[in-house]
Amino acid sequence: MASELDLLEDGLRKTMLATSGAELDAALAELGWADMVSDMPEQAIPLVFRLLGETGSHASVLNDIVVTQTRGRELGEVPELPYAGGGWVVWDYSAGSNTTLGGLPLRRVDEGDPVRLVDARRAVGWWLVGSARAMLNLARQHALDRVQFGRPIAGFQAVRHRLAETLVAIEGAEAALDLPGDDNPDLTALLAKAAAGKAALTTAKHCQQVLGGIGFTAEHDLQHHVKRVLVLDGLLGSSRELTKRAGAGLRARGSAPRLANL
Amino acid sequence: MTDLSDPAEFRAALRAWLDENDLTPPPGDDSLDAHQAQHLRVLKALYDADWMRYGWPESAGGLGGPEILRAVVGEEIVGRGIDHPGPYSMLEVLTPTLIDYARPELAAQMVPRLLSGQESWCQGFSEPGSGSDLASLTTRAVHKGDQWIINGQKVWTSFAQYATRCVLLARTGDADTPNHEAISAFFVDLDTPGVTVRPLQTMHDVDEFCEVYFDDVAVPAERMLGNPGDGWRLAMDLLPYERSTCFWQRIAYLYSRFDALIAEVRGLGTASDSDLGDAYLALHTLRCRSRATQLRFADGQKLGPETSIDKVLLAGAEQTLYDTVRDLLPGAVELDNSAWRTEYLYSRAASIYGGTAEVQRNIIARRLLDLGKE
Repeated sequence: MASELDLLEDGLRKTMLATSGAELDAALAELGWADMVSDMPEQAIPLVFRLLGETGSHASVLNDIVVTQTRGRELGEVPELPYAGGGWVVWDYSAGSNTTLGGLPLRRVDEGDPVRLVDARRAVGWWLVGSARAMLNLARQHALDRVQFGRPIAGFQAVRHRLAETLVAIEGAEAALDLPGDDNPDLTALLAKAAAGKAALTTAKHCQQVLGGIGFTAEHDLQHHVKRVLVLDGLLGSSRELTKRAGAGLRARGSAPRLANL
Repeated sequence: MTDLSDPAEFRAALRAWLDENDLTPPPGDDSLDAHQAQHLRVLKALYDADWMRYGWPESAGGLGGPEILRAVVGEEIVGRGIDHPGPYSMLEVLTPTLIDYARPELAAQMVPRLLSGQESWCQGFSEPGSGSDLASLTTRAVHKGDQWIINGQKVWTSFAQYATRCVLLARTGDADTPNHEAISAFFVDLDTPGVTVRPLQTMHDVDEFCEVYFDDVAVPAERMLGNPGDGWRLAMDLLPYERSTCFWQRIAYLYSRFDALIAEVRGLGTASDSDLGDAYLALHTLRCRSRATQLRFADGQKLGPETSIDKVLLAGAEQTLYDTVRDLLPGAVELDNSAWRTEYLYSRAASIYGGTAEVQRNIIARRLLDLGKE
């Protein structure tokens, strides 16, 4: 089973590096995406969305997660997705309509129907940490390669500690995403998305700084990931909003749920 | 039939027992002496009822069973405020050390005294000149006949004023021995002539930390833990325990204090939501990470430098929690002589003790990110 998953991961990664957008949707359909979502969502969601982040690619598979979990919706429908600030967006590949940062084909709409966002928030969470891992890899390699004052900047503690803080943030978010949400799926997924968004924004800040000037150029890959995580943090509720919502829940309940147990 | 090796069933049985056997601290005395008396009382009760023996090997007076059961006991005892996390956590670092490094007869003789609250022990590691750079310690042990003669000074030795014995690191190698092979460990009776214990006064008014002086202290050779030169390895080997079961019960304690904060700020309305949410997210993330670490440890995996991530998350969450306390309860820390004051001040040390946040980041950079040497 482990090796089958590894093979699947290799195949998915190659496909995502080669294509994006509607073409990737078609390629994922060929690879059996529909079966993956229905038969093994617990493996498929982390794998596919983490790889979207790592490769910098995109596809509309999030729609499938949302409609699968929302009563009365069917695969193939394009749901309105909540965005930060009470907004709504839809996936829209049609040319000319897209003003979204970093090329994600999202278009604002005025309103939307209620959707259930448990697996969808986890999915975007994995997308965020995948992108964060990609940023960390870029910054780490740069720190090892870039020589100033006669040595690689990876030798300077200020640089090392930024990268260490980045890894702490990412690993913490992954632990939150990995937690089974049996007792309280909604809150578990909400916190996981909040942790992932926060970790990705922390990562973007530290890695941008470590990469210095080159990371600010269009030719360097960092900017794609920085823009992607800004958009993904807002998608299905920003870290800031979700955290506040969790706080309101604590106040109403009068205590803090222990969601992680031995 | 209850299967006590299953953590969930074990917890249910323990909770039922705790509901019937009230171990709540007596009210009215918040002194360190009172904490220590409560600590010993709780251990005795738990040992007599066997709860303190699960997860420890039978060879040292335990009842066997998975080690994760100890994390469950710690979570309940510390999370309910029955014992304080500081004294309670000492069990988790000292007992495995004795079991792994003492001669089996010595461990079998001594460990039950600790677990049953007959005695407390302390851990003499840090020195005035050796904090983050522990391997530079200068307390010396010189072999003389069938004894070792120890001279030097320890500091930040928690609860030494209540301790009967001390797990002590001292230098036994000469100038040519590499630091990590030059240190040995001893199990020292603190009533030996030449030992002086002096509590330090700290900024949070709880004098748990001590200076311990050793002037020509004679320790029988059989009280060496392991072999000459094993001291550094002993110190490293206790980290997995400190970073698993110890952390889990400290997290339980922080959640219980967070519950207390939530109860106190209910009247603030939506104004407190963001701050409460931030603290909750930090605690939840930490608890998820620590859970994964407990499960890896329970699965027999070796814990290593990745636990530095747990340590950074713990220090960060603890300080975030108490920053939130100060923000949401204005004056509680500064104007009122409440428990929040002591706890807030103590939380400032969370990024210093047990390996500073900077040392943890150095380890993460070197060992996990493979960034090479500084």
